[in-house]
Amino acid sequence: MLENDPNAAHYPIDPDRLDLVEEFRRAPKGPHSDALQKVLHRMRWAGEPRRYVLIVIEPGRRWMLGRLPERRGGQIERLADHVFTDPADAEWEVFRRRWQAITGRVLPAERTV
Amino acid sequence: MIDTTAVLGYAWPMAVAPGETVSFHLSSETLAEAQLRVVRVRCADADPAGPGIRTTGPSSAIDGPIDLSHQPIHPGSCAVVADSAQLAGLGDFTFGCYLFPTLIGGRRQTIAARWNELRECGWKLELDEEAHLLLTIADGGRRWNVRAPKPLLEREWVLAAATVDLTGGTVAVHQASLARDGGRDRTGTATAAGPAAIAWPTATPLVLAAQGTGLDKPLRATSHHLNGKIDRPRLYAAALDAGRIGALVDALNPPNTDPALIAAWDFSRDIGGDTIRDLSGHRHDGILHQLPMRAATGANWDGRSNSWTEVPWQYGAIHFHDDDIADCGWKADRKLTVPADWPSGFYALELTAATGEGVSVESYVPFFVRAPRDRATAPLAVVASTATFLAYANSCLRLDQSHFEAMNEGLVLISGDDCYLSAHRELGLSTYDTHSDGSGVCYSSGARPILNMRPRGNTFNYVNDTHLLDWLEEQGIPYDIVTDEDIDREGARALKPYRVVITGSHPEYFSRPMLDAFETYQNAGGRHMYLGGNGFYWRIAFHPTAPGRIEVRRGITGTRTWEGEAGENTLSFTGEPSGLWRSNGRPPQRLVGVGFDAQVFDRSAAYRRLGDSFDPRVAFAFEGIGPDEAIGDFGLRLGGAAGLEIDRADATLGSPPNLMLLATADRIGAGGLPTTEEFRTTHRGLTGDQNARVRADIVFFETSQGGAVFATGSIAWCCALSHDGYDNNVSRLTGNVLRRFLDPRPFD
Ligand SMILES: [Fe+2]
Repeated sequence: MLENDPNAAHYPIDPDRLDLVEEFRRAPKGPHSDALQKVLHRMRWAGEPRRYVLIVIEPGRRWMLGRLPERRGGQIERLADHVFTDPADAEWEVFRRRWQAITGRVLPAERTV
Repeated sequence: MIDTTAVLGYAWPMAVAPGETVSFHLSSETLAEAQLRVVRVRCADADPAGPGIRTTGPSSAIDGPIDLSHQPIHPGSCAVVADSAQLAGLGDFTFGCYLFPTLIGGRRQTIAARWNELRECGWKLELDEEAHLLLTIADGGRRWNVRAPKPLLEREWVLAAATVDLTGGTVAVHQASLARDGGRDRTGTATAAGPAAIAWPTATPLVLAAQGTGLDKPLRATSHHLNGKIDRPRLYAAALDAGRIGALVDALNPPNTDPALIAAWDFSRDIGGDTIRDLSGHRHDGILHQLPMRAATGANWDGRSNSWTEVPWQYGAIHFHDDDIADCGWKADRKLTVPADWPSGFYALELTAATGEGVSVESYVPFFVRAPRDRATAPLAVVASTATFLAYANSCLRLDQSHFEAMNEGLVLISGDDCYLSAHRELGLSTYDTHSDGSGVCYSSGARPILNMRPRGNTFNYVNDTHLLDWLEEQGIPYDIVTDEDIDREGARALKPYRVVITGSHPEYFSRPMLDAFETYQNAGGRHMYLGGNGFYWRIAFHPTAPGRIEVRRGITGTRTWEGEAGENTLSFTGEPSGLWRSNGRPPQRLVGVGFDAQVFDRSAAYRRLGDSFDPRVAFAFEGIGPDEAIGDFGLRLGGAAGLEIDRADATLGSPPNLMLLATADRIGAGGLPTTEEFRTTHRGLTGDQNARVRADIVFFETSQGGAVFATGSIAWCCALSHDGYDNNVSRLTGNVLRRFLDPRPFD
């Protein structure tokens, strides 16, 4: 059967490539360099158990971070203390969580300098 | 905040003409009452960057408060055989079939039963939580069990049987693997003590792929639904040994002269329908509930043909799923006879309520009003792509499939509807989804709430198409609505009254009668504007008799979220091949000049004019548009008019010799990803930044008898029409072409 394998995304992420972090931080929606595209593909394809998602609170205006359920039929978890008025900030929040999960390095919470 | 799911419903039928009656089936878990209003939909997109939700109320007889009740949904397919004296009076007997379990472990699934759960009596053959065959017989007090020694394997055929031997005082289960190599052999028998006599329940149907609850509620009559295929189930009035069970099940036509043969179902008969046929002569025919997948390969399928129409005896299996749903079966809460003077259009019930705490309920139940049956009310028809709406109905891809975030190039956006769907899978799946056993969903029905076919729904298909309606209203151009199903049933007759027909953002799913109708229409002088992308792509069928049901088999090519199983890519509804129209000799380029080439979900692009656009023959189209103007470098979908899914012209795929290539968006970027049928082998350089075949083309050509086609080849097109107060070159080009197409004068 044709299946999506989250473990298939295995591009090695170099924890020292803070230039890629900076590139993403400045423009979460791209366009991105080849190297950053690969980092993002790894993060997005593999995701995490209970993948992060962006819940639309008010279309075009307000979003909240959420997590998918472990199994079909479950509730989507709402992370009520993570509400965004710019989806780019949400992209950054998930990027930094994933960067930390993969490299062990902590990135600052703030996207804007 | 707006709650779009506190009350849900569906209209039946999905589309009606003035003078006809539509019924509304509603349910709410939390509300006792709501305010109801019928509205005509102009824009269904809540995006504040666009026109916003725009509806008008024609004022209907059913407007006002409405009492609501909770109507649950009970998914899961099965076959139900009405009770008979023979079934009720069985003494010694054997049940046997071929079984192909597709989701084992963790749940009890019933293969066959004449069982009443409420009273705990009857017999049932199950797969238990550990995938062992388990036979239970009980009389309401006493209970006898026998369990097979080895668990079954997922997706391996096995002969599965149960015997009740009252004479010998035993019960037994028997299984025999068809493939016995590589550790696959699970053959074995188990026997246990049984009663010498037993009182079976009365008035209890025999159920295949589920068991009876014993409840007096037709929608909750069954439970413990099976995920898997059953082939050649047989019921025999004697306790047979393993060898005779094998012969009984294996025989394609067991002799009905044998008085002990109580039932021998042949699922290869009447594949297009909802009935299963019994060959025994006892008329133990049954009814299929909730549309399990027919035309499934049987245990004897040998690959000599991929079509059930050629070797029907190898398609004696039905694939049942515990999440199949074809009809919620809700009672009608309101009925509306559409007044004669209502203009054709997208309509909806708007249900509102205040729940306090800053949350207001605003939920819509969509339906379509077509023109009166005997006449058109405008020279323009807009096609409501109901086949595509059904194909996508309640898509759970963003919840279930890990490719979605990568494809989307960003976090998966979850609407209130998605939150509801996540916890309410009983609403049923789209044909993009896979069942809980991983197999593809090939049917979709409109007899259930469809959350992404209504105002405030997720932005694709229905919502995108209303941007076209909004623009037409803005321009003051009247139109009739014709649905895909109308075209399927009525053919070119449904289109003939119209000088111009517009297909919208994504008319992706087409049946053969629909494609024939468009060809006939275009070649008889009809003018067709295709303002979308990835159109005319999948070959589907509407159910020949039941309304509001479609089927697609995805096959092994095309942009597909599941792959059809080997041998299971022929439509059960009609016996026709399915898959891509490109694989069926009729690529979209043949009909509309362009066909699907790529997905672009990171950013949309603009078109630039090409040489043909300066030909005086198409001067009408480019009035007011400069030679170097970027066309559509704006729009509500990722900032451009060329994006999401895009189409290109190709003479080798049928683009006609007189096609004029007016404009192209061929600078798509690395996010332009070609569809699998667009390259021979994989290699570098396939993406849009390096590949000019990843592009959207705007084309024009004349057909015959004054007919013509204009196509824009992009899903994002319609969502750019309202930019800058509708004063923009996407609007201008569309308007120029539409006004010229409405003008009956022949083209120069
Ligand atoms: Fe599509």
